[in-house]
Amino acid sequence: MRIAFTVNGEGVEVDARSDEMLLEVLRRDLGLTSVRATCGIGVCGACTALVDGEPISTCLLLAPLAEGRQVTTVEGLGGEDPVQRGFVEAHAFQCGYCTPGMILTAKRLIEESPQPSEEEIRLALAGNLCRCGCYVKIVDAVRRAAA
Amino acid sequence: MTDPRVTGAVRYAQDVELEGMLEARILRSPFPHARIERVDTSAVPAGIVVLTPGDVADLGMYGAQIKDQTVLACDRARFAGDPVAAVAAATLREADEALALIDVDYEELDSVFDPVEACGQDAPLVHDRHNVSENDAAYFGIRPQQGTNVCHRFRLRQGDVEAGFAEADVVVEETFRTAGAQHAHMEPHASVAQWENGRLEVWTGTQTPFNLRSDLAGVLGIAEDRIRIVCPPMGGAFGAKTFVRLEAIVACLARKAGRPVRAILERNEEWLTLNRHPAEIRVRLGARADGTLLAKEVECWADTGAYADCGPGVAQKMGFAAPGPYRIPHVSVESRCVYTNLPPNGAFRGYGQMQTVWASERAMDILAERLGADPLELRLQNLLQEGDRYATGEELHDVRFAECLETAADAIGWRESRQGKGLCVLMKGMQTPSRAGIAIEASDDGTYTLRCATAEMGQGARRAISLLAAELLEVDVANVRFPDPDTDLVPYDTRTTSSRSTYIMGRALVDAVRDLKENGRRGYGEVEIPGGLDPDTGQGVASHHWHQGAGAAEVRVDEETGKVEVVRLHASVYAGRVVNRPGAELQNEGSMIMGLGTTLFEAVDIADGQVTNANLSDYEIPSFMDVPVALTHDLLERDGADVHGLGETALPPVPPSVGNALASLGLHVTDLPISAEAVLDAVDRRAGLREVPA
Repeated sequence: MRIAFTVNGEGVEVDARSDEMLLEVLRRDLGLTSVRATCGIGVCGACTALVDGEPISTCLLLAPLAEGRQVTTVEGLGGEDPVQRGFVEAHAFQCGYCTPGMILTAKRLIEESPQPSEEEIRLALAGNLCRCGCYVKIVDAVRRAAA
Repeated sequence: MTDPRVTGAVRYAQDVELEGMLEARILRSPFPHARIERVDTSAVPAGIVVLTPGDVADLGMYGAQIKDQTVLACDRARFAGDPVAAVAAATLREADEALALIDVDYEELDSVFDPVEACGQDAPLVHDRHNVSENDAAYFGIRPQQGTNVCHRFRLRQGDVEAGFAEADVVVEETFRTAGAQHAHMEPHASVAQWENGRLEVWTGTQTPFNLRSDLAGVLGIAEDRIRIVCPPMGGAFGAKTFVRLEAIVACLARKAGRPVRAILERNEEWLTLNRHPAEIRVRLGARADGTLLAKEVECWADTGAYADCGPGVAQKMGFAAPGPYRIPHVSVESRCVYTNLPPNGAFRGYGQMQTVWASERAMDILAERLGADPLELRLQNLLQEGDRYATGEELHDVRFAECLETAADAIGWRESRQGKGLCVLMKGMQTPSRAGIAIEASDDGTYTLRCATAEMGQGARRAISLLAAELLEVDVANVRFPDPDTDLVPYDTRTTSSRSTYIMGRALVDAVRDLKENGRRGYGEVEIPGGLDPDTGQGVASHHWHQGAGAAEVRVDEETGKVEVVRLHASVYAGRVVNRPGAELQNEGSMIMGLGTTLFEAVDIADGQVTNANLSDYEIPSFMDVPVALTHDLLERDGADVHGLGETALPPVPPSVGNALASLGLHVTDLPISAEAVLDAVDRRAGLREVPA
């Protein structure tokens, strides 16, 4: 089926099966490889995209449900977004695989709570897993971004 | 300049796409041990490439240390999850559909799932014969016990252990167990292969490009220089991306298809591909009434699962780390690597040493309690000192155990109060012997390119080596390039494991830069570290230098629910010299956080030989909410010291620090992870409601 939505500010139309997830469409049809599969069951956050501004696990969102919505991935942030800068300044990554999902979730947190406490940051990011264990520096990165 | 990790621009092996590429899926045995009677692929539609045991039965066997694997299980499936067939199709959906159409007849066989039982007389044999591999990963004297499930037996002997125990006033004896764990690297295993004019090219997330190339050459019966391995950065590895994983299957599929083939594992398949060795460790430790250690006897059973992989090496390191950083005149260690009908176990951050450090450092606290001694003072009294000989006979230099331990103890206020607090000190070996080479090429634009096999898995080795190169070349690090390792272009290197790369490549770099300055355009440097142990006596050089560290923890326990909260966690690690401070800090923090998972909740659950928690909902890894607010660490340095690897040292001290903190509350646990149930049992035992097991 045809699905029309907006990705990183541009309108797109893709052909997908009705039972496919948004993750597959973003990676395969749109080449957005910052959106990454890990758990496949919505617990790790590596496949996070912002859908109408909310962090969503795209491995669980049926692609047709993106119809007419605004989807943002880190490819759409440019590279100089304050959250991206915060991550670079704080060295808040190792392998970088979970980083795009972390950045998008943190971006939404800062929109909702411009000066988040450490507890708020931890809670907001609790659904994003980092096996390299960069959590201490990620908290620092989000604080810098919010400063 | 921004970093590709924040823009999502990093291309991992899973992102490699080649023209006309097919996607692969693997069919796995549902039985832990079964004879494969027949594989019927007649229902699979034309156009789908199918690889069956018949296609690979004539190919060579492989294995990093024991040659025990075929590309697919041919005669017998040896664990529930053993690959028996594979398909490649234009889309994953078609590949999945095709898998369902393959019909396999099995005849179930008796299985064994416990490493101690597997050493029994009547245990079913997982393999009929054990042939030591020619791969250079089989670098030490491997001692398979033919006709048993033991594929390596390592022994270390110093003094006369029975005479030592006879002199002892106190002897403690305990059995410890550690669970299997899954690496849970975020990027799954991914490999892409294609054949060009009879030459195989593989893009794969691997820490061991040269070991991989050597094993693939043996499987395919072609010369190593007919194979090219390219290593894109990995989305985490932690030991899992070592040796042959999917590469042999993907290479055979690509050859049969005449097209490139990519395989990316599904998450559940990770638990069927490689985990950490579960272990049982029995410790006997004897001391005089004044606390002087006299004798230590350690027996280890490392469960390597159905294929040895580098299990012999893991068992050997488990064994040679078992004495610990103490002066003990009489030592006896026996460590066995044992086959079972479980998924294979292999390298995992800590490499066997987490398991023996858990057992040994818990035993030290049990001894301290029996002696009525302060666990810190007991350790300080017995620690190895500069110039001492370790139980292997090697002389130790730049010894920093006491400094590590004291700083860890101070970090949690040990001397103010010991209630709810625990300590640990450890030594961890580095790959010995080993060899590394690096080339530097100068360009007209003033940049330098490093040709080096060190693989990047997030540990920051490329950054650290680039910084060292920039310092030696006296240029800005922005002028140093470090392309993805490619075996066609880089000199030989043992592998990116055991926290060795920054140290050894750093040394090779010094020669490479000197050579470059003499010759102008290209410089080459190589370092070879000698050493090794006699596997029957454990005498020799176990580690060119030792990674030294200590840990400290403070816990709070809810005795109604058994929940353990780690309120403070500290690690002190001897860095010698820090090359890249943020990277070094991340290694400590990451190791400690992974160590918390090992300590409190990570375990591969098995029922009747089947993994029952092969997903990240049932198998939990630490999240933000599991990290203590007070998580701190030291990177100890000394002027003029060698660079010491930091990738793993802060993991093994976490479990015993927490276990010993519980012991300070009278709660004795012996098994990892420390479940709430085990804590509640310990509460009951303390109250005298349960008998203390013998």
